[in-house]
Amino acid sequence: MERLYYSKTHEWARREDDNAVVGISDYAQQQLGDIVYIELPELGGRVTQFTQCVTIESTKSAAESYAPLSGEVVAVNKELTNNPQWINESPYEKGWMYKLKIDDSSQEKNLLTEEEYNELVAQES
Amino acid sequence: MRTAIFSAKKTPFYEKYRTNGAKVIDFSGWVLPLEFSGTLKEAKATRRNCTLFDVSHMGVIRISGKKCREYLEQLTTNTVFNLSNYQLQYNLLVNEKGMILDDLIVYNLDNEFLCIVNASNKDKVLDWFDVHKSKEVDLFDETEITAILSLQGPQAVQLLMQMCKDTTIFDLFYMHARGVEVAGVPCLISRNGYTGEDGFEIYCEISLASRVWDCFIDSGKRFSLILAGLGARDILRVEAGYPLYGNDIDETINPLEAGLQWAVKYKDKDFLGKSSIVDILKNGIQRKRIGFILDGRGVPRKGYSVRSEDGELIGKVTSGVYSPNLDKFIGMAYVSYPFKERTTAVTIEIRNSLYPARISSFPFVPINVKK
Repeated sequence: MERLYYSKTHEWARREDDNAVVGISDYAQQQLGDIVYIELPELGGRVTQFTQCVTIESTKSAAESYAPLSGEVVAVNKELTNNPQWINESPYEKGWMYKLKIDDSSQEKNLLTEEEYNELVAQES
Repeated sequence: MRTAIFSAKKTPFYEKYRTNGAKVIDFSGWVLPLEFSGTLKEAKATRRNCTLFDVSHMGVIRISGKKCREYLEQLTTNTVFNLSNYQLQYNLLVNEKGMILDDLIVYNLDNEFLCIVNASNKDKVLDWFDVHKSKEVDLFDETEITAILSLQGPQAVQLLMQMCKDTTIFDLFYMHARGVEVAGVPCLISRNGYTGEDGFEIYCEISLASRVWDCFIDSGKRFSLILAGLGARDILRVEAGYPLYGNDIDETINPLEAGLQWAVKYKDKDFLGKSSIVDILKNGIQRKRIGFILDGRGVPRKGYSVRSEDGELIGKVTSGVYSPNLDKFIGMAYVSYPFKERTTAVTIEIRNSLYPARISSFPFVPINVKK
């Protein structure tokens, strides 16, 4: 299983060479409840680490999602727009949100390992 | 946040739904389930099958005494006098200006009246009733001694008949009530609800409520009954076009604007606020509650602006949801009336972008109550 890095705001990033696939964690989708709407970043656009680039709406509320790393958006999971429930059903696979060509892999030091993230979640719940 | 939950009131079913994995929230000072297996799943199951809601937070006010019928007739907009025994009706309380204080269901039970009011308005309504009380009227707040469940959906009647071993339940008319025993517990059941589906509300004393719940869970297995929470309840009532006090109706709104004129029998009776209602009828309304459906995807939440196609501000959203039963984003809003244009095209402003939508009449889904 490839290494996943996590942000404190519950995003995950999975490195694929120079790219990172991004989604939100299982804990995050559980907290949000049924997701009914998603606004993904523009293909070809740029995102900056820890700034908002996604809007997610569940039946309960609207939430922001932040880029775990800076980079250029090289792929967007377009079908997710009409199937936002995939994030609930499969947050790490089918529910991937976008793929970045990352600027600077040293930014990973600002992220959490899986163990550190699980600890964060344990504290929050 | 945690303190609020601990000091909030609990219904008799609290322990039951905790063990059933409910995600709970604070609602009007009560801790209630928001959802069990998922809001959208519960909303779909209600229209396809049957679901069970704990609605024990609703206010229960009993009005008795020699003059209780006249008293209630004077304070409400619908004709309580016309209620036959064990019949119920949707009704409104308005103030002297004709503004809505609450919407409620009134039951005639052997010449006493049970008023089921919004939890958020219970204290206000009780005070209102008390201030306008006369000598031969007695008021009882039975909210905290009454357990209420709502069983809704096309399979509801089959399940209830099976549970009570009584096929005559099938013939209970919509908006009528009767006594029945559920698991040996004396209950009042009424054929009504807040979903637009066939269904029942079940009332019993809190001390025996647990037995009734267990019977539902047990008998419900054969009918694939699932538990449902406030998230689903909100979706279902929006789909049915029913207003929610605090969202679509409040003390700044009169029944005519709200589209509830049918519950105001100003031609047939006298009531507190009638003269104001008659004035409003004469002068016309300035805004009107409408339904809308977004052309595309976007969540129209309470407070969002409604604009004409040209971007002119014409109203505000009061309720909005994703409807899993329609796979559409729908809602209610008040818009300026009379409508300036003949078109039904409007836009909803969501986070500074204008989302095209169409005005729609209520209900959004077919109403399947057993009329």
